[in-house]
Amino acid sequence: MSFEELEHTADAKVRVKAGTLEELFSEAGRALMQVMYGCPGKDGRTHPVAVRGDDLESLMHAYLSELLFIAEVEGLVISGADLRIGDGFVEGVVRGEPFSMEAHNAGRGVKGISYSGLSIVHDQESYILDVIFDV
Amino acid sequence: MTMLPGIQRLGEFEWQVPVGYVPGMRVPGLFFLSEALAGTLEEGAVQQLANVATMPGIVRQSLAMPDIHWGYGFPIGGVAAFSLDEGVISPGGVGFDINCGVRLLATPLREEELGKRRELVERLFGAVPTGVGGKSTLRLSNRELDRMLVEGSSWAVREGYGIDEDIRMCEQEGCMKEADPAAVSQKARQRGMPQSGTLGSGNHFLEVQVVREVYHPEAAKAFGICQGQVCIMIHCGSRGLGHQVCTDHLRTLEAATKRYRISLPDRQLACAPLDSPEGRAYFGAMAASANYAWANRQVIMHYTRKVLEELYGVAYRDMHLIYDVAHNVAKMEEHLVGGTRMKVCVHRKGATRAFGPGAPDLPPAYSSVGQPVIIPGSMGSPSFLLHGTSGAMEKTFGSTCHGAGRVMSRTQAKKRLTGREIRDALGKEGIIVRAPSDAAIADEAPEVYKPSMEVVRVVHEVGISRLVARFEPLGVIKG
Repeated sequence: MSFEELEHTADAKVRVKAGTLEELFSEAGRALMQVMYGCPGKDGRTHPVAVRGDDLESLMHAYLSELLFIAEVEGLVISGADLRIGDGFVEGVVRGEPFSMEAHNAGRGVKGISYSGLSIVHDQESYILDVIFDV
Repeated sequence: MTMLPGIQRLGEFEWQVPVGYVPGMRVPGLFFLSEALAGTLEEGAVQQLANVATMPGIVRQSLAMPDIHWGYGFPIGGVAAFSLDEGVISPGGVGFDINCGVRLLATPLREEELGKRRELVERLFGAVPTGVGGKSTLRLSNRELDRMLVEGSSWAVREGYGIDEDIRMCEQEGCMKEADPAAVSQKARQRGMPQSGTLGSGNHFLEVQVVREVYHPEAAKAFGICQGQVCIMIHCGSRGLGHQVCTDHLRTLEAATKRYRISLPDRQLACAPLDSPEGRAYFGAMAASANYAWANRQVIMHYTRKVLEELYGVAYRDMHLIYDVAHNVAKMEEHLVGGTRMKVCVHRKGATRAFGPGAPDLPPAYSSVGQPVIIPGSMGSPSFLLHGTSGAMEKTFGSTCHGAGRVMSRTQAKKRLTGREIRDALGKEGIIVRAPSDAAIADEAPEVYKPSMEVVRVVHEVGISRLVARFEPLGVIKG
């Protein structure tokens, strides 16, 4: 599992690689936190998450949009997730720690998850997600 | 000079993207760029400009201003008008930060009278909540939020955050009447309530500026500014509320795109006919978010006035709002198309309305000059005040550029200079920068943007707005 930030002029483009879909979603959430807060969170608290989508891309879009909402409204800096992914749904819990102005001030506010440039490809070994966060 | 292949030159600053550049284009694309800026043009941005030209009901051309750059859905700097009968509305043509915009406040202070600058910057930083996680001191109920969403600027003024004159000095008097709070989800409200009256992060800022040069004395006089005068510029938008509205409606409009059998080259362009339940719901929610943003800037301006009042003894009423413009919005407007007046829905995504003399919706004092157009520079670089023109009414549905436009990614920017180095360098030029963190400063270094003077020169030469004055920063509160 890994993520890296790619070159993008205006926004934050991230590439995430993982061996399974569950790991891909979990790692994508960590990448979002990295951009928003300068670091992913630590384990401690949990929060339920459940989203639906017509295909893998819209599921990822819905999942990351939901994480953005949970982070902002619940003040939770997410460290990872334990998820079950089925036909048209993702459900489970996200793990994380409470937001603190001192520890989480090295990021950029993310406004939304862009559909433009969102792609998930799967080869024999891994899943690769490219996604752009509007900052 | 280098220009991307397939693009035709129409004039010194005008470039056409012909029908056929991408499949399904209904109209050509047109953008404005100088030779000096040609090297900054990204292929992805032209592709997006061409994608917009495939959307149903688009009128005349898909346009982009000289600050064009690669965004999502529309390019940043994109403008497109859609007919009411065949046209569509799309959150991809507005952006996540609905009514991200700028307002300019004039003070009666002259540069030499502005002592205690560091204290001023610190006090402003203390008074205006900023940065990721910056929380509002306002405590809104759902009912109050509804009123804010319906009334915009005037809600804030009635609550004591301003004076009546402020309302008139906002584009559309700081209120889109089409606002529909019922189309704003509970989630959007939850994000918006604790963030009203906050600046946000990214490129948002509050700047103490001085009018360094006046280019057009008559217009400057009408706008109430003169050389050496201290002004305040506030740049922010609709915060999490607008972002969530965009996210929510993107989903419903994606389903609508399929239902109405609209074929699109990019999912972020998800749209629905203007006259459909989904299209109307998005428009109502977007208008409500725009009103939230106007109220937001009004509240922040109030905090600013209070600091200046306390620190310099300036009377609240002697600080007048020059104007407030929206940069990310879709609006119903009347324009002349092929010799006939026609009502259209104009999407401006990183573009500014630039209505010319005599246009409707201008304050009487500005009617003979055209509306003030406020172009913020990037952190530490000059900002500009222009006026709208009849040229903009003819060429660009009354629109012009909105800023400098990025040329360097944030990852590149961070490799070059640290936030501290940038802060020190600006300090040597006499510009005090205050931000929640040095990382926030590194992201927005002046050299990551196109030179704002060149962008503004292009719109001035093309005649879609004309230069009035240049402002230089003295102090920056960065979000």
